Parts: sequence; C-alpha cells; structure tokens
Amino acid sequence: MGIWEALLNWLRSSLFFKQEMELSLIGLQNAGKTSLVNVIATGGYSEDMIPTVGFNMRKVTKGNVTIKLWDLGGQPRFRSMWERYCRGVSAIVYVVDAADHDNIPIARNELHDLLSKPSLAGIPLLVLGNKIDMAGALQKNELCEQMDLKSITDREVCWYSISCKNTTNIDITIEWLVKHSKTKS
Amino acid sequence: MNPRDKKDEDRDDETEYSPFYGIEKGAVLQDSRVFNDPQLDARRCAQVITKLLYLLNQGETFTKTEATEVFFAVTKLFQSKDVGLRRMVYLMIKEISPSSDEVIIVTSSLMKDMNSKTDLYRANAIRVLCKITDSALLGQIERYLKQAVVDKNVVVASAALVSGIHLLQTNPDIVRRWSNEVQEAVHSKAPLVQFHALALLHQIRQNDRLAVSKLVTSLTRGAIRSPLAQCLLIRYTSQVIHESSNGQGDRPFYDFLESCLRHKAEMVIFEAARAITEMRGVTSRELSPAITVLQLFLSSSKPVLRFAAVRTLNKVAMTHPLAVTNCNIDMESLISDQNRSIATLAITTLLKTGNESSVDRLMKQITNFMSDIADEFKIVVVEAIRSLCLKFPQKYRTLMNFLSNILREEGGFDYKKAIVDSILILIREIPDAKESGLSHLCEFIEDCEFTYLSTQILHLLGNEGPKTQDPSKYIRFIYNRVILENATVRASAVSALAKFGSVVEYLRPRILVLLRRCLYDNDDEVRDRATLYLKVLDEEQVAKKYLLEDVGVPLENLESSLRAYTSGYQLDESFDITSVPRDVKGPSAQDKKLAPGKKPQEVSGRGLENGVPAAGAGAQEAYVSLLSSIPEFAQLGKLFKSSPPVELTEAETEYSVNVVKHIFPAHIVFQFNCTNTIAEQLLENVSVIMELTEGDEFAEEATIPLKSLPCGAPGQTFVLMSRPENACAFGKFSNTLKFRVKEVDPSTGEADEDGYDDEYSLEDATVTANDYVLQVAVPNFRNAWEVMGPTFSKGDEWTLGVRDNLNEAVQAVINVLGMQPCEGTENVPSNARSHTCLLSGLFIGYVQVLVRLSFGIDPQKQVAMKLTVRAENQAVCDMIHEVIGNA
Repeated sequence: MGIWEALLNWLRSSLFFKQEMELSLIGLQNAGKTSLVNVIATGGYSEDMIPTVGFNMRKVTKGNVTIKLWDLGGQPRFRSMWERYCRGVSAIVYVVDAADHDNIPIARNELHDLLSKPSLAGIPLLVLGNKIDMAGALQKNELCEQMDLKSITDREVCWYSISCKNTTNIDITIEWLVKHSKTKS
Repeated sequence: MNPRDKKDEDRDDETEYSPFYGIEKGAVLQDSRVFNDPQLDARRCAQVITKLLYLLNQGETFTKTEATEVFFAVTKLFQSKDVGLRRMVYLMIKEISPSSDEVIIVTSSLMKDMNSKTDLYRANAIRVLCKITDSALLGQIERYLKQAVVDKNVVVASAALVSGIHLLQTNPDIVRRWSNEVQEAVHSKAPLVQFHALALLHQIRQNDRLAVSKLVTSLTRGAIRSPLAQCLLIRYTSQVIHESSNGQGDRPFYDFLESCLRHKAEMVIFEAARAITEMRGVTSRELSPAITVLQLFLSSSKPVLRFAAVRTLNKVAMTHPLAVTNCNIDMESLISDQNRSIATLAITTLLKTGNESSVDRLMKQITNFMSDIADEFKIVVVEAIRSLCLKFPQKYRTLMNFLSNILREEGGFDYKKAIVDSILILIREIPDAKESGLSHLCEFIEDCEFTYLSTQILHLLGNEGPKTQDPSKYIRFIYNRVILENATVRASAVSALAKFGSVVEYLRPRILVLLRRCLYDNDDEVRDRATLYLKVLDEEQVAKKYLLEDVGVPLENLESSLRAYTSGYQLDESFDITSVPRDVKGPSAQDKKLAPGKKPQEVSGRGLENGVPAAGAGAQEAYVSLLSSIPEFAQLGKLFKSSPPVELTEAETEYSVNVVKHIFPAHIVFQFNCTNTIAEQLLENVSVIMELTEGDEFAEEATIPLKSLPCGAPGQTFVLMSRPENACAFGKFSNTLKFRVKEVDPSTGEADEDGYDDEYSLEDATVTANDYVLQVAVPNFRNAWEVMGPTFSKGDEWTLGVRDNLNEAVQAVINVLGMQPCEGTENVPSNARSHTCLLSGLFIGYVQVLVRLSFGIDPQKQVAMKLTVRAENQAVCDMIHEVIGNA
C-alpha cells in the first residue's frame, strides 16, 4: 500500500503535473510584502511584523505548482539590490500600500526605474494595491492611473486591489501566479 | 624495488596531489553561474564554493565587481535545504567579506537560521551574523546570542562565546551584559564551551584586577575539566601571581601550579611548568619540580614536547643555570636531534649551563653542527658563545678561533654582524684577546662585502690599533681599503690612518705620505678628510684634540644646536659649544617615564596646546619657545631645567591644574596649565596666588594671568619668583586659583555679560633638590670618579630604617636626589643583601656631581647607606648631604 502511494505521488508530482516558478516580491517598506507571503503560504495574518532586513526566501506549493518567493526588504538601502533578485524570475510582483497616498509617487518612480533595466526585459509584472480594507485606499483603476501602468508596453502587466488582512482577492492573485508558472522542462 | 621505497613514493604522490591544483579564477567564476540555476545542484554548488574558498586562501584577490557578483549569487543558495551546502554558504559570506552596505542583505536570512531547529545552522549563522553586524542591529539580536551562550548544544554555545570575544572589541558594553550566562558556561560539562567561556569571561574582566583574582581563586579549586581551559587558567593565575606578589614571602597559588604538574594532559603540565619558571624571583626549591617535569619531556618521542621543554629550559638557564645542569645529559643527546630548532636550543642551553671543562668538547660538537643550520640559528649560537666567553675569559682562545672560523664562512649581514659584534665585545672586555681579535678582524675586512661592518671595524682599528705592540702591521690592511673599497669605507680608512699618525710618532712621516695620496681621491668626503688630517697632524696637540677626544656632548644635541645656530640671526657671534644641552633623553628613558599608567598616545595626544609637550628631548625646546614669547621672561637668561608636570588637582575635578617649574639662573617660573571642564562656565582673568609656607629665599616678582579659559581648551598662567643666583633654594607654596566666572548658555555658546569672582584651592607645590639637577649620564663612571678626584668630596653614613627590600631603598634615594643612575646600577638583584649604586648629574650652575651609594640590609630589614659625593665644588657636596638629611 505504502509503496503504491509513494509511486503515485512520484508520478503525480514529478512526471506529469509538477510545475515550478520563481517570483520576486518587491515594493516600498511597509507595503505588506512579507504579510502577503504569509497569507499565500499559510493563510495567517499578523498585525505585528518586523521590517525585513535583507530578504526572506520561501517555497510555497499551491496545487501542483511550487513557487519560490524572494521576499525582499523595501527600505531604501535595499532597493538598489532588487534588480539582482529579479533577473530570470517568472514574474515580478510589486506591492503598493494603496492607503499611503504620500508614497505613491516614490513607489511609481522606483517601479519604472526598475523596469527600465535591460536584464528584466519582458518579465511579466503584477502590481498589487494592498490594504484596501483601509479608508481612502486607492481603487483598482486609480491605482493603474497613479502608478502609470498603461505606459508599460514591453511586457504583460496586470493589477489587482487586495487586502492581506481580510484575504480579499488573494485567490485571484494566486490564480494569476499559477497561470504564469512554467512547465518543468 | 623494495616495499619501503614504494611506500615512500606513494606518500610523495599524495602530498603533491591537490584536487585544486592549477585551477584558474576566471574559470571558477564562470562555474559560479550554477548558483543562479533554477534547479540547484547542491553538490556541484558546494564544489564551486570550495574552489572559490581555495582561491581566496591562496591569496587570489577578487575585484569589487567579481566579489559582489559572487556574493549575490551565493545568497541565492539560501533557497537550498541542503545542510552541507548551507555551511559552505556561511563560509563563503564570511570569507568574501563584501562591502557593509551589501552584506546586510543576508541579515534576515541569518536571523532566521539563528533560530532554526538545525543546530549547525544556528552555530554558523551566529558566527557570520556577529561578523557582519553593526551595533544597531546587535541590539536586536543580543537576546538570541545571550540565550545561545547557555545553549545545550556545544557547537552553538561555543559559536556564541567566540563571537562574544570578537564583539568585545567593538561593542564591549553589550557583551559585558552577558556576564551571568558566560559564568554559567564556564561550568559547562563540554570542554570546548568551558574553554571559550573562560577566555571570554577573562576578557570581560581583564581590566578589573580584583575580579580576575576572584575568578582565579574560585576556579583553581578544581572546577575546570578541559585541558585547554586549564592552560588558560594557569596563564591567568601566573598573571595574578605576578601582580600580587612582591617577590617576597609566601606565593599565592603556587600549590595550584604545582598540582597541575601532575595533570594527565601534557599541555597542562607544560603550561604549569613554564608558569613556574617564569615567576618573578622564583627560588630553586620552587623550580625543582618544574625542571623535573621538563626533563622528562626532553626524552619524549614527540618533537613538539622536546622543543617546548628545551626552549623553556633555555630561558631558565639565563637566570638559574644551576637548576638546569641536571638536564645536561639529556640535552647533549638532543644536539643530534633531527629537528634543527631543538638542536640549536639544546646547544645554546648547554653553552649557558656548561662549566669550563666542557667548553672544548662542546665547541667540537658545535663546529660539526654549524654547517647545516640556517643563519638565524647561527646568530643564536654566536650570541651564546659570546656570553660563554665572557663567563670563562680563560677560554677566549678556543672561542675566538671559532668565531674567526665562522666569520670566514658564507653568511648574511645579520649573521656577520652578530659575529663582528661579539668579537668587538670580547676585545673590549678581555684585554688578552685584543691582539688576536684585531688581526681576525683585519683579515675579515680584506674580503668584506658589508660597508657598515667595514667602517665599524676601521673605526675600532683606529682607536685600538695604535695602542698595540706593533701598530705598523695594521697600516697595510687599512691602506688596502683606501685602494679597493667604496667611498664610505675609504673615508673611514682615512680617519683610521690619521689616528695612527697622531699617536704613533715613528709612523707619522709614512702616514703623511699615504694621506697625501688620498688627496687625489675622486670622492669629496675622502679628499676633505685627508686635507683636514694633513693639516692637523702638523701640530701634535691640535691633532690629539681633534682626533682622539670626544666632543663631550651628545651628537644629536650638537646637531640640533648647530642647525638652530645656522638658521638664526646672530651669526656674527661664534658658536658656543657649552650652550649645547648635555641632557641625554634617549627613547628608552622616555618609555620608562611613560610606562606607569599613561599610554604614549594619550601623552602625545595632549601635546603642546596643553602647555605640556610630549616628554623627551623636544620638551625643553618647546618650553623655551613658549617662555621666550612672553616679554616678562625675556631677561631671565638660559633655562636650566623644566620639571615634569605635577598635578595640583585630583583627577576629574571641575578645574584641572598642573604645574611645571622652570629653573633659571636666578629665577623660577611656575607655569600653571589649567583646564576648565565645565561646559556652562567661561573663566576669565585666571591667575594663581602662591603663598610661601616653608623656606624664605623666594620673592614673587610677577604674575601673568590668563585672559580667558573656555571649557576644554587648556591655557597657561605664570608666576615668576626670584631667588639668589645659582642657589638651590628650597620651599613649599600653598596655591589658590583665582578667576572670574561667567555663565555660558550651552545652546548658543555665548557667555553672560556679568560674572562673579571665585577661588579654588589647589594642592601645595614644592621646590626640592630634584628641580636643580639635570640627569646626565657619564659613560664611564669609574673614570669620571677618578678624574674628578677627592678635592671636593664628602662621605657619611645614614640609616634608612626598615624597608621591604633593598630595591625600595635604592629607588627612594634616587628619587630624592633626582640624579641619573649610571651603568645600570639602579637595578638591584632580587634578594641582594648589599648593593652599590652610582649616580651622576649636573647641578644648577652646571656643576658636575658624582655620587656613590653603598647599601646594606640586615636580617631585621634595617637598611644602612654610605654616601660619598664628589663634585666640582664643596657647596654642592654639602648640599647633597643636606638633602638626604632632610628627606
């Protein structure tokens, strides 16, 4: 029995369906990147987070897809290093604090700076406006406008408004991610 | 081929083969791309990292870009769960040491690992994190580290402790907070943890003597299991012994050291034996168990033990040769030891302990052995032979022959210099050896490639050659130098020839001929010297004065005085050699003064702004220029002496003041260096009121107040006193600092308009005999004593009461007189029952004074002293006695 089960698992995971992807999770500090990782990985949410000094590496399995997540620190001193962890990933996920209107312009500049790097050409981009549970948060189309996403034409771009706290739209986010995974070759 | 050969061959192959032999940086960097593969091959990655580490350890350097690329690629490997690979990642991050703004990228990952369930992750993450962290981050991780110190896992606890030792350099306050945990770790069962914990605990407390002493006391009762920790404990113990004992009476902790000699670990035994031999004033009874243990080690099969033992015995032989003689037989067998270091040490030890009869036999053994050791070992042997020769002057023939033989052999400069120095010393100390020594040296310079040695020998020949029975035989050797050598050697050969010419009358005409030939030399210096000597040799008296007499002042001082003269404006006056300071303040004298308490940096850091120039020869000049800038002091004449600063306030008071006494022929200038340490105050019109409490020969002439004294910027105020000319007037003054206080607003730094007058009382200042003496050494005290003659002299006997030992009595008298001890006589051998100390100095008015002190101590520790003074006038003789009588 045990042998059969193991064999079946092996068949299912490695031979037919197993898919793998690598993602970089970036955005300004306090945008909710590490929270998003936790929500995707375990579904848990905590108000009490410490800033990420450097990066966290997480592997998450959703269905038959294994996602490698590089969750990078958002403080200014780490921003120059984002590019190194975005090279060759399946998709870049850019998290924005939609309730923090003051920092939206900075977030926009950082994003466009990053995307101008030739090494990152063509990598699909997902922009997430987080914290829409808070009053005055930007709506989906406002986000697009404020972040000037329409001007990005050299790659696939998508944007959602989410809330890690209330698990709003997390499902469609995961769905988008899974859709962009590569079949293991 | 026999099997033995085959085995040897195999081994050779093994040593030469390295899997990484010939790898190239470029290729390895290319390989390091595997770190970026989506599907990581942990084995392969680990191999590449190994290669990178190999390159780094071979001294290969990576450019900044290369290092950065490798570093970031390596950080990608944090995704792998492979334990072995992770360990390589830690190593790599530590070794490649990327710049601090990049390395923080791994902080979060390391913090995660530090709290992981895998012990190996935890230990290594702690080490790396502590290496890359800054003090801000350290605050965040401190509690984890503190916990790790007492972790059950040995590797983790050790890692935390070792990191603590490193962090102590940069963040001592944080590490000190772990004291309790470290203390707990000292009692750990694991040897490694105990070792590291003890090292850290000691470092935390090392500046607190009492705490170290307590630590040692509690641990010597047997809590230590680890041999390494036990070794550390022995070191700390001997430190405590060194600091606590005065060389007398019962020695604390000796029993502990002695019990360690019976420990089962060899390293502990050795450490204890060495600690015992290094104790100050160790007695032969205390030594004997240690020597017995070392003797056993001498015949050990382990080279390292033999080496350690013979090296320690070698040191003991310097101070207690008799204690080591028991081991002579064992050491003689070590001369043929395969290890040359052991053999050299054995030989030199034997040379120290040997008696007169064994010298010849030893020399024979050494001759065989000299050819196959390196230069630095040979130097050691030469030095040992020199001291042996001084010990047994009758044997000089054998030893001098040996030295001249090895002088002829091949060798580097240091080796040759050691030999030449030895021969020079022997010539000086053993009159019989002079002629043969000189002829050996003559032969040597015929074929000497070292200019320095040639000139040194030529100088000696010039001084000593004319006094020998047949001076003419040296001329040939010296003139050969003029023909064959480089300009420097030629010049010194010319000087040497001239000395022969001035002393040996019948040679003079011939010397003049030789010197005339030197007039056509193509080097300026050689021609100049020849011209000068030809001129002075015409007049015998002038020649003797120029060639043979010393100038009488230190050459450095003469040089600086001449420089000052030529750069000055009074060139119409001729240079006066008596104005050259005779005060020799070599670097060693400075070091001695600085050694207790103050570190050199602090002193130089304070510098001149403080009015306290760094000690040494520059001090006097600095004072002179300071004082000559004040018009009131312009007419005082030549500064005789400036005393070292004397503190008139306790440390860390509101105002800190010290005084420097400048002695002039008929005046004393008191220079008060004041520092205001209160940020909220500005002091104005600062002066010191001096009132004479003892003595009556002083009269105050002027006070020069200091206009303003802001916080932190030192300033000076002066008081000028007159006294009878060239007299040693003694006195005591009570001092009060007077000033006007103005409040300062700390935020703006501006002072209030109005202030109030205030006073601050200082400690008393005294003027004693010390202040009127310059410490001037005479090179040969006995000669000086004879030359001075008993015209003005005075002798008397004194009892000095009960003293702990003679050393204390000698130092006390030297301090009272403030004179320069000569010929090392200030050092009293421990346990000496009698001692003679020779002092010299210049008293005010430049009167030379010589003092001979004979001390004796009886079993009741009563010290008696006989004092004999010779001086250039009787008044000073009487005064010295008066000073001792008053002290």
